Amino acid sequence: MTLFERVFSGNDAVYGLTEAAVDAAIAANGEDKAVSFPDTAYALPCYYAVTGVKVTNLKEMKEALGVVKSLMTRENQLNDVFMSGVATALCAEFIEAIKYIDGAKPYTEPCYGHLSDAIIRELGVPLVTGDIPGVAVILGSAPTAQEGVDLVKSYQAQGILVTLVGGIIDQCQELGYKTGANVRVIPLGKDVTAVIHVVSVAIRAALIFGNVTAGDAGALMTYTKDRVPAFVNAFGPLDDVIVACGAGAIALGFPVVTDDDKDVPAIPKSLIIQKEIAKFNPTSLEARDIKIKITNIDIPVAFASAFEGEIIRRGDMQIEFDGSRVDCCELVQTKDASEVEDHKIEVIGPEIDAFEVGTKHSIAYVVEVAGKNMQADFEPVFERKFHSYLNCIEGVMHTGQRDMIRVRISKDAFNAGFRAKHIGEVLYAQVKNEFEAVVDKCQVKIYTNPEDCTRIRHEVATPVFEKRDERLSTMTDESVPVYYSCIMCQAFSPSHVCVVTPERLGLCGAVSWLDAKATNELDPNGPCQVITKERVIDERIGEYEDVNEAVRKFSQGALDDVSLYSIMEKPMTSCGCFECICGIEPFSNGVCIANREYAGMTPLGMTFSELASMTGGGVQTPGFMGHGKHFIASKKFMKAEGGVARIVWMPKELKDQVADRLNETAKELYGIENFADMIGDETIAEDPETLVAFLTEKGHPALGMDPMM
Amino acid sequence: MALSGIQIFKMTPKKNCKECGCPTCMAFSMKVAQGALDISACPHMSEDALAQLSEATAPPMKTIKVGTGSSEYSLGGETVLYRHEKTFVSKTRYAVSLCSCMSDEEIDAKIEEDKKVDYDRIGERMCAEMLYVNYAPTSGADKYVSLVTKAAATGKVLVLGCEDAEAAKAALAVCKDAKPILNGANASNYEEMSKIATEAGVVLGVHGASIDELYNTVAALEKLGNKNLILDTTGATIKETFATTVQVRRAALKDSDRTFGYPSIVNLSKIAGGDRYMQQALVSLFTMKYGSIIVLDEMGYAEALPLFGLRQNVFTDPQKPMKVEPGIYPLNGADENSICLTTVDFALTYFLVSGELERSGVPVNLVINDAGGLSVLTSWAAGKFSGNSISKFFIENVQDKVKTRKVIIPGKVAVLKGDIESKLPGWEVIVAPLEAVQLVKFLKDMQANGEL
Amino acid sequence: MPFNRKPQKFNAAIKTVEIGSGDKTVTLGGENVLPFYSFDGEIKNGPKVGVEITDLGLDHEIAGVKAYYEGAATIGEIAKKASEMEGADFVCLRLIGGDPNGENKPVEDLVAVAKEVADAIDTPLVVEGCKNVEKDSELLNKVAEALQGKNVLVMSAREENYKAVGAAAGLAYNQKVGAESAVDINLAKQLNVVMTQLGVKPESIVMNVGSAAVGYGYEYVVSTLDRIKAAALSQDDKMLQMPIITPVASETWSVKEAMATEEDSPEWGNQEVRGISMEIQTAAASLAAGSDAVILKHPQSVATISKMIKELI
Repeated sequence: MTLFERVFSGNDAVYGLTEAAVDAAIAANGEDKAVSFPDTAYALPCYYAVTGVKVTNLKEMKEALGVVKSLMTRENQLNDVFMSGVATALCAEFIEAIKYIDGAKPYTEPCYGHLSDAIIRELGVPLVTGDIPGVAVILGSAPTAQEGVDLVKSYQAQGILVTLVGGIIDQCQELGYKTGANVRVIPLGKDVTAVIHVVSVAIRAALIFGNVTAGDAGALMTYTKDRVPAFVNAFGPLDDVIVACGAGAIALGFPVVTDDDKDVPAIPKSLIIQKEIAKFNPTSLEARDIKIKITNIDIPVAFASAFEGEIIRRGDMQIEFDGSRVDCCELVQTKDASEVEDHKIEVIGPEIDAFEVGTKHSIAYVVEVAGKNMQADFEPVFERKFHSYLNCIEGVMHTGQRDMIRVRISKDAFNAGFRAKHIGEVLYAQVKNEFEAVVDKCQVKIYTNPEDCTRIRHEVATPVFEKRDERLSTMTDESVPVYYSCIMCQAFSPSHVCVVTPERLGLCGAVSWLDAKATNELDPNGPCQVITKERVIDERIGEYEDVNEAVRKFSQGALDDVSLYSIMEKPMTSCGCFECICGIEPFSNGVCIANREYAGMTPLGMTFSELASMTGGGVQTPGFMGHGKHFIASKKFMKAEGGVARIVWMPKELKDQVADRLNETAKELYGIENFADMIGDETIAEDPETLVAFLTEKGHPALGMDPMM
Repeated sequence: MALSGIQIFKMTPKKNCKECGCPTCMAFSMKVAQGALDISACPHMSEDALAQLSEATAPPMKTIKVGTGSSEYSLGGETVLYRHEKTFVSKTRYAVSLCSCMSDEEIDAKIEEDKKVDYDRIGERMCAEMLYVNYAPTSGADKYVSLVTKAAATGKVLVLGCEDAEAAKAALAVCKDAKPILNGANASNYEEMSKIATEAGVVLGVHGASIDELYNTVAALEKLGNKNLILDTTGATIKETFATTVQVRRAALKDSDRTFGYPSIVNLSKIAGGDRYMQQALVSLFTMKYGSIIVLDEMGYAEALPLFGLRQNVFTDPQKPMKVEPGIYPLNGADENSICLTTVDFALTYFLVSGELERSGVPVNLVINDAGGLSVLTSWAAGKFSGNSISKFFIENVQDKVKTRKVIIPGKVAVLKGDIESKLPGWEVIVAPLEAVQLVKFLKDMQANGEL
Repeated sequence: MPFNRKPQKFNAAIKTVEIGSGDKTVTLGGENVLPFYSFDGEIKNGPKVGVEITDLGLDHEIAGVKAYYEGAATIGEIAKKASEMEGADFVCLRLIGGDPNGENKPVEDLVAVAKEVADAIDTPLVVEGCKNVEKDSELLNKVAEALQGKNVLVMSAREENYKAVGAAAGLAYNQKVGAESAVDINLAKQLNVVMTQLGVKPESIVMNVGSAAVGYGYEYVVSTLDRIKAAALSQDDKMLQMPIITPVASETWSVKEAMATEEDSPEWGNQEVRGISMEIQTAAASLAAGSDAVILKHPQSVATISKMIKELI
């Protein structure tokens, strides 16, 4: 039989049973007999939610059965299967409801049967907040009682709400395993129809917490699929009735994991065959995309930001990993989900017990992550946090990054039991917690053999670093599809909006396009939002309708339009935290740049702070703009006015910092060698006249360019 | 539409002669664009350019100066309606009201009371800067003159509330050199009052029975050539006063209606006379919304403490946070043996931290670093609150003055602990919790554990 | 030529949120002009004034407050008197005693207090937690459950616990939710966005965008309120159109100006008068910048501010 036929057959069987049960109940009680579940305002919740009709007595139930029948189409389309699954569930609800006629109490300890609205409101809040990360529905009998109980226990330990139907209930009792709503393991009932009581929970959650209108079946299924993190574990062999129920679960978005590989074919993401009961847990979590929050990091020393500034002196040090002497590196790599086993921490090579006190060694730790939303661009974002993560460990000091790292472990930490593997624990926990939005699975490999470290450093890490640098340096505004807004500093500059592009980083110097992208994906409601750039207004100055709309929106209407590449026309506004300010110097037909650290006078006749007070605060000031240091060598630097050739003056210290990159840009754009030498600084001139004399002597290109104003 | 610095620069002589006090014509132009300098400060502007620029750069609201010497105050000159757009430039000034209808004892007592509130808050002198001297026709001009003389002796700027020409003349005769305000013009007497004010060289206050009458009277005065005005926006009720005060300011700044481009006087003694609590509410309301001078019955500490705090907040530069003076602030009876706790000079941080420290009751030396007036994380990020700067400050300003060698640093810069310890030998550096509110418990726990 | 009036007309309005049940409900928000700009258009619901009481009773209160509540022995009686205060529109119960760093009262006790208060009054009730994020998650959940049907405003859901508080108060038990953020327009908006994504209806959200006593960084409060009102009205920003409630008493009675006794600072004069003035001036400034409700404590302040609102509308 095909899966379709099995669902239909199971559905037909349940329908037959239901019809018989309803008829028998009418025969016994008359058709006006009231039917209801106790302590709910939603009548028969599943039927009510799907149809919007409240069934209150047997007569109405009989009519409702007709509606159910109409769902049971047999066109052999996927939809028929789902609808038959739903029909099966509704039948189960009728059968269960009949059990409650006349206030009967069909369920006794330990089974709960129907759950009241009050319990749902109570469970609903932690479900919505994620404190209950998932709902497991375990159906049938495990191959052995021990395996069944171990599975229950594994979910319980993760805070997942477990509901039990059928033989597993007996298996728990057999081993004396404690159940009950208070421990979040709820046996529902031993008949398979009792599964409806957990479906009823999901459905009432949609009505109460999802504002779903009863009768809107589409919205209902969207809610259960997106917001109710439930899944089914069904032990084989699966009979047709269970298969039909499973179709109902899948229709609501709940995947089914089973060990029965004979009776049903696997359906990706929906019906998953997992032969090993011990792996039901990770398989289910992955299928339902449930992430377990790590609340405490399993290490023998404290972990807190208070230890971030701790310095470990040579005398207090147990051992040291020193990238300046031997091969060391730290790396994040994106892997396929199948290559990553979550929370696997491997130390490859000797633990630090093997090292003599006070010695230097190699280390390479590679954090491998997998996730549906993971992107290679996030890797350096994670890596940059390692410094802070490791420093927060009591008794561990970390400096540097990439392959220039140094890690010291104190004697106290070592004596408390701290080992290399704990570095893995910390990295695992922090990466999982902080980047939950994109990391589904994470494992850490820690190499301590010198040969391994050499190999990882040179053969794995270095090529990655080079590739990344290459990508950064070749990334242009044209090569990316979108830009990002950044309003992190609006608290100080209410109407300022940064438009961050690959070639123009945020003017604080701290937010690159990649940072903004990562910020956006990790926190979609946060300060960085996507700005499209599809409707160009003026290529020359870099003005886009989309960018203007975004700026208008994020500045709350204070700004109408900005250009990305012009200082004279609609220049981008400046906040208060720019690294540099650049301002027009009319006598040389160029611009002077002053950086925040520079306290002296500029040839503009204004100091950095005077310039700052005139340009800051999110106000457009033609002729003046704030920017990051990195932007100075960008090909987009005042592109509209002729680019970096306009730079006539900057403080010496700044000039030294940017000279190499600036020279490269000038060479590429204008074929000028050693352009930085043509630029004045405070040792040459602090007034326009001396500056112009110097520029004339050097033959600075700005003197011959079109007037800026 | 205001001109940009670049547009102004184009009309300058571009000589960089420095005669205006700026090193370059560019710097001068930028200052003019900001309203910080008047275009007339340049001696080399062509007539043509001057005429063109004066009109375009004229502020939407005039700056009116009153008083003399250290008691000279600027009123008005605002360019925006909200403080987040740009700094409000002229603080609201407060006047306590006196009246010739009061007995001499009453007057003397009030003047004495008023003198008591005069103190410093974050480097700024706080007192009611003015006295509003009201003329009651029943008292006669002589009594009024003697009251004005008494009031003038305080050195405060006087606002003469007097619509009687003869009394005004007599009063001005004794006080005009101190540049008081003659608040006495209305629709029926404005010509005469304008003449009196102009002759005495003082600012004239204008009042109208309605906003329209006020508008027409101002227009008429401007026609007479008097633009040294201030508008008394007080109406018959609180509601009308608020409506007039707001609309006058909004018309000037948002709708560029220059007729209303003058500072305002709001007289609470008229609309809430005798109701001290209502006056407290209204003085706050009108400080927020556009009173240039607010007149009230009394300015005791109860009024002053919140009010001057509010004014200091509202009139700060939104770009430049308020700063407190770096130094050691002993709290809760701290002495040289008490533990040090250090943070930045951002006023808000100071207030929050010192408030929590005071609540803890634990004696602490609060050491305020020079961090450019920025918050902890901002100054840390800007390199102004670093291991170097903190240790340097302690070595130069703290070490010799205290015996303790324990310092608590903000939890947000835990990362500095090691750095400070290495640069400040002999000191133990303790990391505080992340938020100021957690300090009370933190300190009490330290105290209980004998760690202080 | 008469003065040419140019009223600021907006095509947007602040949403209305109704709190309380029965005859004495109170509607917050609804205005489509700037604060008190009645010359631009009619102000439908004027700002409201709440009276703060706490589970800690009256022991720590200043003489005038104690005097007002004289004879009230239980929290229910205190609440009743609070609701009858001249100028009071609603009562705000702060469950300060729940703070784990303070008295750390158990949740059940505090829920009982909340129930007693709710049953004692017929004016709307606002319940504020103890400001400890974890404790509030549980406490406010239970309070929302216990007060089902009373349509109370539960304060506050913050960035750290908005899910727990929002889901309980806004979804499970159909109360109104106070969304509290630090003084910053973007944080306020972000919280409203995630709160609505959670499923809480915008009509069930009241914002507390932070407050301070005047003189204590109050410029941030002013600018945040100014900017939120401007964005809500002129930009029609739906995620900032929730009415704003500002707790004032809790800020103003704990600053030096209100706490220093007359012995401490003899020149400052009567402590109570200072405290009242601090409360009144902070409340007036908050209303001038756009609060739709303020929470006060002293009977004199409540009467004065409520009178000021009536005079202005």
